[in-house]
Amino acid sequence: MRDDIRRHAAALGWPVLVTVLLLLAWEIAVRTLGIRWIILPPPSAVFEVMVTRYDLLLTHLWPSLYLTVLGFVLSVIGGIFVAVLITYSSIVRKGFYPVIVVSQVIPKISIAPLFIVWFGTGTMSSLLLAFLIAFFPMTINAAMGFASVDEDIHRMARTFMGSRWQIFWKVRMPNALPYIFGGMKISITLAIIGVIVSEFVASQEGIGYLIKLAGGLLDTPLMMAAIAVLSISGLALYAIIAGAESWAIYWQPPLETAGAPGG
Amino acid sequence: MRSAVATEASERAPSPRGDALGDATTVRIASVKKSYGDLEAIREVSCDVADGEFLSVLGPSGCGKSTLLMMIAGLIAPSAGEIRVKDAKVVGPRREVGVVFQSPVLLPWRTVRKNVLFPIELMKLPRSQFVPRAMELLRMAKIEEFAELLPRQLSGGMRQRVAICRALVHDPSILLMDEPFSALDAITRDEMGVELLRIWQANRKTVIFVTHSIREAAFLSDRVLVMGRRPATIIDELAIDLPRPRHIAMTEDEAFNRYVRHLRKAIEASHAG
Repeated sequence: MRDDIRRHAAALGWPVLVTVLLLLAWEIAVRTLGIRWIILPPPSAVFEVMVTRYDLLLTHLWPSLYLTVLGFVLSVIGGIFVAVLITYSSIVRKGFYPVIVVSQVIPKISIAPLFIVWFGTGTMSSLLLAFLIAFFPMTINAAMGFASVDEDIHRMARTFMGSRWQIFWKVRMPNALPYIFGGMKISITLAIIGVIVSEFVASQEGIGYLIKLAGGLLDTPLMMAAIAVLSISGLALYAIIAGAESWAIYWQPPLETAGAPGG
Repeated sequence: MRSAVATEASERAPSPRGDALGDATTVRIASVKKSYGDLEAIREVSCDVADGEFLSVLGPSGCGKSTLLMMIAGLIAPSAGEIRVKDAKVVGPRREVGVVFQSPVLLPWRTVRKNVLFPIELMKLPRSQFVPRAMELLRMAKIEEFAELLPRQLSGGMRQRVAICRALVHDPSILLMDEPFSALDAITRDEMGVELLRIWQANRKTVIFVTHSIREAAFLSDRVLVMGRRPATIIDELAIDLPRPRHIAMTEDEAFNRYVRHLRKAIEASHAG
């Protein structure tokens, strides 16, 4: 356990050092070159805003986070449900699955204004956009996971008289977990994008609204503070999923190099 | 010879209730054919397997011997003819049968113990009753101390031992083995053969063992059926009259090598024809 922590700490050391150096270079560059803060505030100014105006930031962060998580959870449930249909219904697999895949070419962000027309400027539009954008990678990953069961394992379970239901829960589901978590990691970052874009288009609250508002007021430090808070939240959500993943998929050997978290 | 090949099985008129099998016959394969479209996988195979017999089906790869085994397991339906296990026609997987595959096919998320108990769960048998049996099998296979490990922590030979324990856990009377040791190295393979015989001797199951190794078939079996590729049918049958328990040293004996030569000739003849 202690070894584990030490290894993680060692893995984190270099990226953290690079980040600190970059921030430092940014700070020095802004101050020595005399760049106006409206264009580019130094990190210290952004940090100061995060501390002094934290209640404003949090007021706008919560609705965004809430909608992100809700949209994400719905996309996970919906995605797995549709993936099960794809796995077990040849009509869905042959008819709907290709349509779902091809519909991926629609840039879903572009639908945001349409959702405003349909569902108004409230939370519904944000939630639906988050759901819609997060739903596809979830569905496709889960469907791939359910389908990727080794033919021999399937045959083995059948010789021991496993029913379809048993094979689903005891074989397909655990087998699909790595795929499902992979989908979840993509979906959570997409859900954030969906909510923020929707808040950009039309909203009275949320961190997307605050970013747009601060931009309108030329309050660049506030804008960057909002972006920073959003990024940290995204990172935290991603870390929660990654943590749940390594707990749930205990049978896979730990990877030497963990993938870079997005967010 | 422990049991005769029932070549005339198809000519016997089955009674409406089905043919009553003698006490000694556990598996009856009656004029079984299998084809996939134009492709003839099995021409026609008939054979009786006696209770407690160790029978090997020997043949080159692609001769349909695995297909035959999967039909006995109830996973594939014959195109013609029928297979009876314990006097009941095989129409699907059955409780009396345990199967060991070419690869161990363990579930990577289950510990060794839970992998062995997997059939018990699927068959909804009382788990508490079978836990001691699972542990007993693991002890017999000499992998008891690995019960709580995951499959990836075991070697290939160990994994196949787990698969054998799993196939035996629900106490089937028939054990079907589909080239179970073909992925193992030669030394481990000999060792596993000896182990298998030891477990078989203690449990006295009927074993149908598919292999493409002549030595393995001769060493393990009471009787060897040789399957040819073209046509895919039984081309020879040989009773192996060597004393039991068998030891790896016996493979040096002239008696053993006579059997091996006989089998090799039979296989070579099938290639020529």
